[in-house]
Formats: sequence, structure tokens, C-alpha cells
Amino acid sequence: MGLLNPRNLVYLASLAVLVAIYLRARAKPTLEVSSLMLFEELSAPMASSRVLRTDLLFWLEAAALGALAMALAGLYVLRPPPPAHHARRAFVFDLGAGMSARDGRTTRIEEARRAALDLVNSARPGDSFSVIGYALEAAVRQAPSAHQAAVRRTIEALQPMALPARAAALRTALMEARGAAEIDVFADRPATGDALSAAGPGVRVHFHQVGAPQGNLAIIALESGAVGSSQGHLIVRNLSEQARLCELTVDLDSKEVLHITTVLDPRGQSVVPFGPLKHGGVVHAHILTPDPLAADNERWAYASNDKPDKVLVLSPDPDVRDDLARVLLAVNQNLIVTTADPAKFRLAGTPRYRLAVIHDAYDPGIDAAARLVIYPQPWLEHSPPPAGQLPVVGSVAMAEMQERGADQTLGQPLLLSPARILALPSWMSVVARGTDAASSASFALAAFGYDARGATGLLAFNVRDHLLLDPDKLEALVLTIDMVKRLLAPQELQIVSTGDAVSVPASASATIIAPDGSAHTVRADAIGRVHLRPLEAGRYEIVSSAGRSVVYANYFDAAESDISAAASARPARPSAPARPTTKAESAGTMHVAPLAPWLIALALAAMLVESALLARKAMRWRVRNV
Amino acid sequence: MLEARAFEPDFLRRLDGLMLGVQRARTVRAGRRTLGRVQGLGIEPENFREYTEGDDLRFLDWNAFARLDELMIRTFRAEREVEVTILVDASASMGVPAGDDKLGLALGLGAALAYVAMASNDAVRLGIFTATRMGGTRLHNSPFHRRRELYPAFRPFVTGVRCGGETRMADAVGRLLLERRGGGVAILISDFLVSAGEYQQALDRLLAARHEVKVVHVLGEREANGDYPPGSYRLRDSESGEICEVAIGPAAAQACRRRAERLSSELAQYCANHGVIYSRAFGAAHFEEIIMREFPRLGVMR
Repeated sequence: MGLLNPRNLVYLASLAVLVAIYLRARAKPTLEVSSLMLFEELSAPMASSRVLRTDLLFWLEAAALGALAMALAGLYVLRPPPPAHHARRAFVFDLGAGMSARDGRTTRIEEARRAALDLVNSARPGDSFSVIGYALEAAVRQAPSAHQAAVRRTIEALQPMALPARAAALRTALMEARGAAEIDVFADRPATGDALSAAGPGVRVHFHQVGAPQGNLAIIALESGAVGSSQGHLIVRNLSEQARLCELTVDLDSKEVLHITTVLDPRGQSVVPFGPLKHGGVVHAHILTPDPLAADNERWAYASNDKPDKVLVLSPDPDVRDDLARVLLAVNQNLIVTTADPAKFRLAGTPRYRLAVIHDAYDPGIDAAARLVIYPQPWLEHSPPPAGQLPVVGSVAMAEMQERGADQTLGQPLLLSPARILALPSWMSVVARGTDAASSASFALAAFGYDARGATGLLAFNVRDHLLLDPDKLEALVLTIDMVKRLLAPQELQIVSTGDAVSVPASASATIIAPDGSAHTVRADAIGRVHLRPLEAGRYEIVSSAGRSVVYANYFDAAESDISAAASARPARPSAPARPTTKAESAGTMHVAPLAPWLIALALAAMLVESALLARKAMRWRVRNV
Repeated sequence: MLEARAFEPDFLRRLDGLMLGVQRARTVRAGRRTLGRVQGLGIEPENFREYTEGDDLRFLDWNAFARLDELMIRTFRAEREVEVTILVDASASMGVPAGDDKLGLALGLGAALAYVAMASNDAVRLGIFTATRMGGTRLHNSPFHRRRELYPAFRPFVTGVRCGGETRMADAVGRLLLERRGGGVAILISDFLVSAGEYQQALDRLLAARHEVKVVHVLGEREANGDYPPGSYRLRDSESGEICEVAIGPAAAQACRRRAERLSSELAQYCANHGVIYSRAFGAAHFEEIIMREFPRLGVMR
């Protein structure tokens, strides 16, 4: 039993008005009679001395008012659904990294699975269920099905991913579940009312929060430093309310370069230096101290060799050439950077470059292992564009960067500079997106991909006027450095964030070996590349006849990794009609049956009886107005 | 007010055929009833009859004996009046309930009885009794009037009556008897909302003074039926000022009716036991019906 609109209980104040009326009626009129002798035979002549003298009419009026007030408040009872009705229910699971946190012997996802399986087991034959998981995106794991064994198998197969769970993904999942009459959301942190309102009107949302608050240690950054010259460092953070000991190691190609135990303040972080490294390779940092969430306990980085690679910077603007050279040397001070004006650049006799950075110019056909195209020029010649020329379809006067990486929406859009809009080839994936400051049209601001010529990176915005050195536009510099790092990294070795789209060279088919040791075979696309999206943190190995590639996936998300406060808050009530309920309320498959019709009928009956009594009294006493 | 009705000509014309029902103090000669005329010393010869033993020889008609040789007794009609005193209760209870106009009914009945009595040349007076503010008894009598022509003289007296105070019936009768007049007809008009001892004492005194007593019991129709609007009330006794809280409803109304009926029956029973004519006049609406039908039926009038 409960109330759908508890605010309307204010109408019960009408009972106070009724009581006031009866109290006022207690002030009886004085009637002068010829003699009290005529009233001697009254069985109880003295009136009652109660404060509130009630009669049947009072109770009838109180019953009518009370029934109407409760009807307005939406009194309902929970009843088992009618036998002929087959419930449609949807299970929405948070599959973010936080759900892999271990609470004692079980993980949060196991707790959620167990709760869902209990609901399935208590369902009647014929009830259908769908299973939807979400983290960065929502995905239907099980279409609505009355085959409960299949539903159980789907639920038991659910595994959390090393990805943050986004509210937008939850909204998408709830929209996917709209066909269901009831939706059960299993998550380790409260959802906002706005997100739950996506379930739509008339759908009951039961929110099941799993897990208890726990502390967590995470590696949030790893920088290898320049080989032989500068120290690398890693940043480790304590995501708990208590000081924690943190034992960690740093390996370079499986050889330990650092083993240290440090104390981290509550909610504090520590920068741990190491090196300088003596040679290049894969740097691996690992927290040895056991903690509930393992996905953020490891991190990989690539240390470039100290080989003096040659880099060419082409730009018509000398300031841009100077800025880009500074950035390149900041990434790797062993680079030999050559800058040139495209108008004066002569292709003949140039060596093979490790990286060619081309700003606001055509690619004259430079021989380079990787290319970074910045603010590409549209092809205005009458001849067809050369191979590798990125097609420019438009330009904007001022671009704003809106999101970077995989669904990382910037807290505040970054106003950049003029930018070019390109029709990206299929082998490039978007790294950053932006919009025109004057309109809301979205386009790619940064992209990366491999084609037959090698790695190609794109920065669509202009970097003139020392944009990269502007402290207010630090995000543009970070994006550029990341892009340069990816371009300088070997193609067969990629270090990405979980959830990023990765493509590696492969022959017709390739075998992907995941961090957990599982392997599966995929087919390469037309340009000889295999695409994968690492959802677990760790090392992926792609083996094909063309060779062997390795992808390291790093995971950290400040919100998702913070599992200390996840369970302390309660779910918010949505403003929309969708109504989340507590765990206790949603434990059974009960059906809400409003009592408003019965309450209104009761009020009408009470008023009819009262009218009949009054009419009878009026007839008996021959009084017109009773 | 209803007492004014008793002085309207059309109403009085309807009373012309009525006479006061008096059982004693009337001539016993055959023929028409002669109110107030008894055999005795007089100046107007009335009849002759044969002498019977024991007759007063002073009334022997010697002339008739000489002529007819028969002993004849001459009878005379002596003019002897019957004093009719109509006592009306003017206590506070007679004014309540106001809508019932009990006092108007009592005064109207009293005036009508006076008019009827005056038709027979009886000496009639009206009196009202109540209690004074100081606790004493107040008895206010009008002068005796004997002829109908003087009936309007009662009008100022009747219309000037205001009710108030307690009912002091026995004291009022006691005061009346202090005048030591001869026995006559005493008509007592009241609601008799007093203790039985009070009205019994009053009636006993009147009877002891050789009055022929008639009682007219007046009650309002509303109070006789307990016809009050249902609800809770503080009841205030009009005479004593006593307060009582009651919830009036159907049961209370029935209890009121029962009590009024018991009061009436007890009074009627007492009157019957003591040769007093009892007449019930409940409801001012039945004023003329009471006079034209009830009074003749009960012997108050003929």
C-alpha cells in the first residue's frame, strides 16, 4: 500500500474544517421553555460533556472527506498481477568498471546477477525478459524472451568492462527497454532522476543499487620520459577516505626499474619518478597492493628509442613551424626536426622521415613513415587530387572542441581557431570532435588511422597565432602531443585507452588474444587491417600471417574508479512519470492497483446515506432546512 | 394576540346562543332553565302549586283558598345572581413558547366565558394571578360586570395583561377567598405547570369555599407535542431560570408528549374525583373549536 501523490494528503485538512464546524456546533443555542417539568422524562436529559460531540452524520462526512482525500493522494495497493497477464520486464545492468569491484568474496556484478536471477526465478511462466548492458554505450544482450533459461544464461554471462558507465548510456538503455512494463536497473551508483525518466511514462523503474563503499588505488598516468635523458613518472591516486600504503613496480620490457612502497594521503595522489630509462620499450607500471578494483592497477606506456629520427615540419607560417618544432622536441628531444616553407621546399634529395608534419599545405609526396596533417588545404587544382590528399569539404571561421577521445565530453567547449571540415576516409577514426561556433554542426577536429602509406594523423584546426602555446588552450596542445606520440609509436605496438577503436595491420584473418587469455579469430578489412576495441585493461595480441601486433589498453576514469562513495547516496527520484522504487518495494512482482474508484464510491455512498438521514429527519420534524 | 379575537363582533355573535354550564345555584322549577333564580323571598310572584306538608304557611294564598277551597302555595322568583370569577394564570410560563400564544389563548377563553356568563346577567369578573418580583403573589381582579352591554369594559383589562413571574396558584386563590364573598363559580385557567400539590391546594380551597369550580387546562401545541427542532440545546426554565442541557430528538419529543399527557391526565383525574369540570385547551389554533365544541361537550358551556 502506498500513495502515488502524497502531496495531495493536504486535502485531509478538510477533516480539521469538519471538526471545527462540529466544535462550533457545540456552542448550543439556549431554548427557553415554559417549564423543565415537561422534560423530566427524558432518559438522559443531560447532554454529553465530550469536547467533540459526534454523531453518525459526522462520521459519514469524515468518511467521505477522508476517502476523497486518499483518492486524490493516489492510495494504491500492491496486488499480484492478474493470471492472464504476462509481465514484460527489462533488466538494465551497469557494466562499467566499478561493477568489477570486489566486495569480500563477490563482485558487484555477481551481486547484481544474483538479484536479477532471483527475479527471473520468481517469475511466472510466460513472463518475458530482456537484458541490456551499458557502460560507454548501451547494448541489448538479450531481446525480450519468455525463454527463462536463455535469460539466465545471458545474465550469468554478463561481465563488467574496463570502461566508465555514462549517464547517456543509461538513458539509451532505458529507451531500449521501453517496451517493458517494468525495468530493473542494477548499478553500483545512484542514477539521476533525469536519466531514469528516459524510461518513459507509465513504466515502473526499480533501482537496485549494489555494492558497499570501498577504497581504491589507481594509476592515473604513466610517462616514460626521454630515454637516457629525462626521468619518467607515474601518478598514483588514493580514492578512499583513509591513508593507504601503496606498493608499486615499474618494469621496462619485463625488467624492473622501480619497486617502491609509498603512503598516500586520503583522497591524495603522489607523483613517483623513475629512470631515466636506458633504452626504449614498453613501460609497465603495476600496483601490487591488493584493492577491490583491478582494472586501474596497471598502466602501460611506450618509451621511444633514443635513435635520432628525422622529422619534417612544413608550414607557410614561420611561427607555426617554430611552435611545432618545440612541441616535437618536447615529445622526444632526440628528434632531428627540419622545418621548411612549402613554397621553397624541394622534394628531391630529401631523406625518409620518421614523421612529416604538414600545416596548411599540400603533401608534395614526402617519403615518411607517418604524417600529421594540420589544417589541410583544400584541393583547388583542376587535376585530380593526389593519393593521400585528405578531401576538404568546407571550413568554419571558428571551431569549438566539444569532445575528445571516447565519449569524453569536455566540461566547457574549447574555442580554437578556424578549422577545415573533411570527409574522412573509412580507415580513419575520429579522435576529437567539434562544432562551428556559429552553429551546432558537428565535425571531426582530430582523426587517426593507418593506410597503405602508414600512419596518418589529422588536426583540422589551425595552429597559427601560437595556439599550441596558449595556456588557455592547453587541450589543443595535449591533443597534438598525443597525436604525435601515436604517430611516433611503432605500428605493431599501440598503447590506447580502453574503449578506443584500434586497427592493426593483418592479413586476411587474425587471431586476437585478449588479456584474460581468450582468443578469437577475425577477418581483416579491404585495406588489410583488423579493427578491435579493447574493453578490458591489459595486453591484446593480434597474430596473423602478416606478423604480430600488440595493443596495450589502459584504463582510468576518475568517477568510475571512485567506488568509495558509490553506495552512500540513494537514487534520486525522477521528475518524469517513471517512478523508481526501492529494493524492498520491487522485490516481488506486484501490480499497483489504485483504490481511487473504490474510495470515490465510498465517499458517494457516505454522502447518499447522509442525505437519506437528513431527509428522514426533515420529514419527521417537519423542518424545511435541516 | 388571540385575546383581541374575543372582542370581535362576529365572534361574539356566535357566542350568543351559549350559556355557562352551572350545576348548582340554579332554580329547580320545571320549564326553562333560570340561571341564578331560586325559590325564596322575592317580590315577583312566579307560580302556584298545591300545598304540601312542610310548606311555609306564610306563602299560602288565602284568596285562592277562599275561592277554590284548595290550599295553594304561592311561589315567588327571587332575583339572586351567581358570581362568576375567572382566574387566569399570567405567570411567565404562559408566555412560553412565544409562538404558542398560551396567554392569549387563556385570556381569550376567559373573556369568552365572561361574555357567555354575562348573557345570563351573572356578575362576572376576571382576575389574573402571578408572582411579584419580590417573591410575593399578585392577584389583580377586574370589577364585576353584570350585563352584556358592559362586556367591552373588560377589554382594557384583558389586553393589558403581561405575563411574568412564577405560578403562585394556591396563594392567589387564598387571596381571592380573603374577600369572603359567597360561593359562586370559579373558573381557573392555567397551564398547570406546577406541582400537583400546588394546584390541588388551590382547587381544594375553592371547593371548600363552596365554589363551583371549573378548570381550563391550557398548553401550547408545540410544547404539548414536544415539537422542537432537533439538536442540542441549553433549556432555560422560564419561571425558575434553571438551565438544563439536552439533546432533542425523536426520543426527547416523545418523552415530552408523554409528560404533558401525564400532567393532563393527573389533573383531569383529580378534577373528576372532586366534582370539578376539567377542560383541556391545547393549542391556540383551536381557540374557536375549543369554545364551540369542547366547552359544551365537557359541560363548561351549554
